[in-house]
Amino acid sequence: MDVKLPQLAEGVESGTVVSILVAEGQEVKKDQPFMELETQKAVGSIPAPSAGVVTKIHVKQGMEVSVGQVLISIDAGSGAAAPTGAPATAQRPSKPAVQPATAEPQQSVSATPRSASPSDYRYESKSGMPPPAAPSIRKIATDLGIDLTRVKGSESGGRIALGDLRDYVQRLQQIALQRAPGAEQPSGQSAQTPPPAESIDFAKWGPIHREKMSPLRRTVSRRMVESWTMIPKINQFADGDISNLLALRKKYAPVYEKKGAHLTLTALLLLVLGRALKKHPRANSSLDESAMELVYKDYCHIGVAVDTEGGLIVPILRDVDRKNLLQLSQELQALTEKTRQRKISIEELQGGSFTISNQGSIGGSHFTPIIYAPQVAILGVGQGQPKPVAINGKIGIRTILPLCLAYDHRVLDGADAVRFLKDVISGLENFSEADLELK
Amino acid sequence: MDPATTEILVLGAGPGGYTAAFYAADKGKKVTLVEQNPRLGGVCMNVGCIPSKALLHATAILREARESSHRGIAFGPAKLELEKLRNWKESIVEKLGQGIKSLAQHRRVEVVHGRGHFEDSQTLRVETSAGQKFIRYEKAIIAAGSKPAMPYAFDLGNKRVMTSTEALDLPDIPQDLLVVGGGYIGMELGTVYAALGSHVVVLEALPSILTGVDADLVRPVSRVAQKAFKEIRLNTKVLKMATSGKQIKVTTEVDKQRRDELYDRVLVSVGRVPNLADLGLENTKVTKDDKGFIQCNAQLQTDDPNIYAVGDATGGTLLAHRAFRQGKIAVEAILGERSEFENVVIPAVVFTDPEVAWCGLTETEAAQKNIEIQVAKFPWGASGRALTFDRPDGLTKLVIEPETERILGVGIVGVGAGELIGEGVLAVEMGATVRDLADSVHPHPTLSETLMEAAESFFGTATHTVSRRSS
Repeated sequence: MDVKLPQLAEGVESGTVVSILVAEGQEVKKDQPFMELETQKAVGSIPAPSAGVVTKIHVKQGMEVSVGQVLISIDAGSGAAAPTGAPATAQRPSKPAVQPATAEPQQSVSATPRSASPSDYRYESKSGMPPPAAPSIRKIATDLGIDLTRVKGSESGGRIALGDLRDYVQRLQQIALQRAPGAEQPSGQSAQTPPPAESIDFAKWGPIHREKMSPLRRTVSRRMVESWTMIPKINQFADGDISNLLALRKKYAPVYEKKGAHLTLTALLLLVLGRALKKHPRANSSLDESAMELVYKDYCHIGVAVDTEGGLIVPILRDVDRKNLLQLSQELQALTEKTRQRKISIEELQGGSFTISNQGSIGGSHFTPIIYAPQVAILGVGQGQPKPVAINGKIGIRTILPLCLAYDHRVLDGADAVRFLKDVISGLENFSEADLELK
Repeated sequence: MDPATTEILVLGAGPGGYTAAFYAADKGKKVTLVEQNPRLGGVCMNVGCIPSKALLHATAILREARESSHRGIAFGPAKLELEKLRNWKESIVEKLGQGIKSLAQHRRVEVVHGRGHFEDSQTLRVETSAGQKFIRYEKAIIAAGSKPAMPYAFDLGNKRVMTSTEALDLPDIPQDLLVVGGGYIGMELGTVYAALGSHVVVLEALPSILTGVDADLVRPVSRVAQKAFKEIRLNTKVLKMATSGKQIKVTTEVDKQRRDELYDRVLVSVGRVPNLADLGLENTKVTKDDKGFIQCNAQLQTDDPNIYAVGDATGGTLLAHRAFRQGKIAVEAILGERSEFENVVIPAVVFTDPEVAWCGLTETEAAQKNIEIQVAKFPWGASGRALTFDRPDGLTKLVIEPETERILGVGIVGVGAGELIGEGVLAVEMGATVRDLADSVHPHPTLSETLMEAAESFFGTATHTVSRRSS
């Protein structure tokens, strides 16, 4: 069996082989890690999809590999039936090692967050059979290098007709065209993606030096272009008075410190946001365009943008609405630490339903954040500054927090956004001391 | 002497080899086809599928004639002229062999007769009647085929111990014939000899004949064979064979009881082995699996990038129609087309009386792999057409994926099952559902209706039977 690089995470298409943990001829157990891979986001290990003997290693240390590429071959041995219920990658029919550029579409599709259907659909059958399709359709798919397990069949029994294949290819093309310049352009690019912008000779005007974009930089770049170009967004500005909140924080910070937790403004904001999102589930939803449906999530996982040496990484804090302030503070601290050390796992970067980007600590003011698709909103937070404000007709000095909610107008209307933002501000301004007390 | 050069060299002119050679020539390649036998066509045409089916057809007439007296039609005793029968069979084989030869000529495929031996990854030496010839090729396709296995202990150097190759020559009609191995070859040839008048005893080491075939499909064959043959002895091992005058003394063991018996001839049909010895594969990078067959990937490329392999030499199910398909795929792969031998439904037919045929997933395989299935059956006792043949001993069944009602496999036993399975192959390959089959009108009165009625029985609405669902 050929073991291919599985889809590791949304948006992760390739990685660099850090180390190979097995040798040819070596026996491996199911789920035993056989390779370490550095992706755009983290270093992770790839587990063996089934037990057997490693017959061939197709890649070398330092090599860049992409999703679908054959990494190693495992001989599962005689009599070892195909493991039913194994990961989808293990069930896919093994393809020859040659996966030239035409295999690219299925990778780009999985990288696109918007169209849930082509990226997420995967044919699975308890009997382990390949998806039903006539030989003529299978031949076309083979010619085009299309994995039919990705194509949803419309006919009875899920059979794939020519129309289904055509729709799939058209979607791929659409997505490929939407990939704006500046998107990741791996070598051996086929003609489907637009060519990169013309190279400019900057050295004409003075000395320069060049630096390769890191995989992380490339991912950030591509994701941002996708979000920027695909989401009709509105930026809603607001200010929150956090004077009282800061006083409370000052009072309770030492108590939290004793428990080993920093009581940061982000942690306080998380608590407030968790409640506001519960009240405004639409801000916590996603759009499934292919199904023309809104996907409401009963969970509330908030991504927190973290500034690392390598660039922006957004780890996810899970079930924010179900945690108290101490838990949130502790977890946020641990998560941030892990992210900065690049020890965060791919799983910890997935599944966010809302994002907060707090520039306060480095002195930012109002700014318009970019929505992290497929989420529909992001809260940009600046630094709280003492400002003169009118209080009951008199001028007073209060600490004002600059906020900006960027939201997807396809899902949220202005009124929705204002109501949500008002609830967030009210949560900050009327923060209850009871929430700070440690029980 | 400078070696001859060619673009594609095909070693072996059986079904896989000549298909590959012709297809490559049709695609504009310069092709050389090497075959050690004077006649093209391989095992299938010369000593396999074709001659055995000719004999089965001829002997079926004997049986039909004998069994028609209760229909008010009686014949006298049949008069057998073995030489004429042999010649008739030989004429068919010869005609087909000539056909292949002229097809090769029309395509300008160069045919070289002689034994091939690889000198290196791009050179084949051929021992022809006119001396050695070296052929340098760009790509080679090994289609060397297989031959009947003859265990060392049975190889007495006595012509009375035969493989299928000699048995098809009809040297005589032995009074007592022992068939060692109750697989499809043993059962088919046993049927021929039994019809010709031999007392046939079949010995099978395993608990059933036609091992691997679903039990309900084997049952009608067992029933007929038990009448036609003298005996079918299961769980029996052959320990020893020895020449004893004009007979063969065979020592068998069943339930630890030894037994010595005398037979006029013995047919050894215990499997087939690939023809890969002395091919010089050690001079290439071609590797073999633990059963001795050539290892290749889905594009049929061996571990030597210049060499591909098709047909029996690659193991799996040793069937001509599998080789036909593989021959085309290997050529497409060489031409750089995206083609692979994956998820191809290979039907199987056993030409016993009655015939057994299946394709796709079988019940046995589903059980082994723990795949959840549903099965819809239609017994031929309810088929008007089967009754007009006087052969209600048949069964058509569908193996179905429960969630999608997709047809994963079809199994048929009954007269003409081999002709009927084609529709099953189409259904499985097309990803047809049970409803597709049930709603396709089948002509009446034909046996093909049993496929439709099996599908209808899945919904509890088969017209000519009372299904479990409705009762």
